Amino acid sequence: MSQYTELQLDALRELANIGSGTASTALSGLLGRPVDISVPKAEALPFAEAVEAAGDAEAEITGIVLGLIGDMNGTVLLLVPPPDADKLCRMLGVEPDDEFALSALGEIGNIVGSSYINALASMTGMEIEPTPPATATDFLGAIVETVLAGAAMNGDVALMLDSNLVVEREDCSISFLLVPDQGGVDLLLSRLGLA
Amino acid sequence: MAALETMVRMGELAVSSAPGHKLASLGLGSCIGLALLDRRMGIAGLAHIVLPQSQGHAQDNPRKFADLAIPEMLSELEGIGAHRIRLEAVLVGGAAMFAVAAAGLEVGQRNEEAVRDILRSVRIPVVATATGGTRGRTIRVDVASSEVTVREAGGKDSELLAGSRTLEVAA
Repeated sequence: MSQYTELQLDALRELANIGSGTASTALSGLLGRPVDISVPKAEALPFAEAVEAAGDAEAEITGIVLGLIGDMNGTVLLLVPPPDADKLCRMLGVEPDDEFALSALGEIGNIVGSSYINALASMTGMEIEPTPPATATDFLGAIVETVLAGAAMNGDVALMLDSNLVVEREDCSISFLLVPDQGGVDLLLSRLGLA
Repeated sequence: MAALETMVRMGELAVSSAPGHKLASLGLGSCIGLALLDRRMGIAGLAHIVLPQSQGHAQDNPRKFADLAIPEMLSELEGIGAHRIRLEAVLVGGAAMFAVAAAGLEVGQRNEEAVRDILRSVRIPVVATATGGTRGRTIRVDVASSEVTVREAGGKDSELLAGSRTLEVAA
């Protein structure tokens, strides 16, 4: 299967909604500030278009990536503009040029990503574990295409579940992408009774 | 005046013989931007390769695999007048963007090895590279002059292969 029906995308969007709601609560607890979420998008796009949908390929961005292993394989990717990454570090009491800044961001990714995944796993009755986070600041295109390459072997369409977490009054946002491997999407849908 | 630029996105390829035309892949990570150049004819192709081997997968888009994209680009280049014996290759990309625990080789490194193996088998020399490492890159190819530039995040375009204009007119 390479394309999804509107009903299936709606169901995936709802999963993403609940997942990002849980993730925003976790981020809010970590930062001690309120965090809003946008209505998530669920898009099935050919690879060539998926990178463009994520943003300007040459924009500099900080990416925090977690692998997913277990009943469903895939990748969670958090994209943060570098000024916002600096703000997140400061909210955690770490200076952005400190040697611990990257691990502080990795930890944010870990907590936000894990809570999203745990919500997803408990809703679908699957066992999914996140792998430790890795962080890079580089071209957005380079970060996103490297994540998509992991899903490219078994299909030409990337399913991207995209949410935005916005830290209130800080003008700071995190874009959150879940890219399941092809088999992972089918499994998600079958657990929802929509395969 | 800005030159006409064709974006070669993930899993795409393009060939051209149009003067003033540029081919570009923005923000290559683990993917490889493979440029094939026929300087004499002012013909160039660019493939944005995602994975090394198709392993028999029947796909809607075979161009994302090195083993299927390269033969296709060769035949398209020859179709617009390039000569295989004159082709030169430039490789950009194949980075390891994330320092994740190495379970087997990184896909970026495997992409580069696959592309080099295939080029060797069709006897096309690799004349310039900007590969490996941990940084993303942009490749731009000027079709008429065969000039190839590369840019890393936060950097400027730098010349990877000098352009040249030949006065020789092909018979």
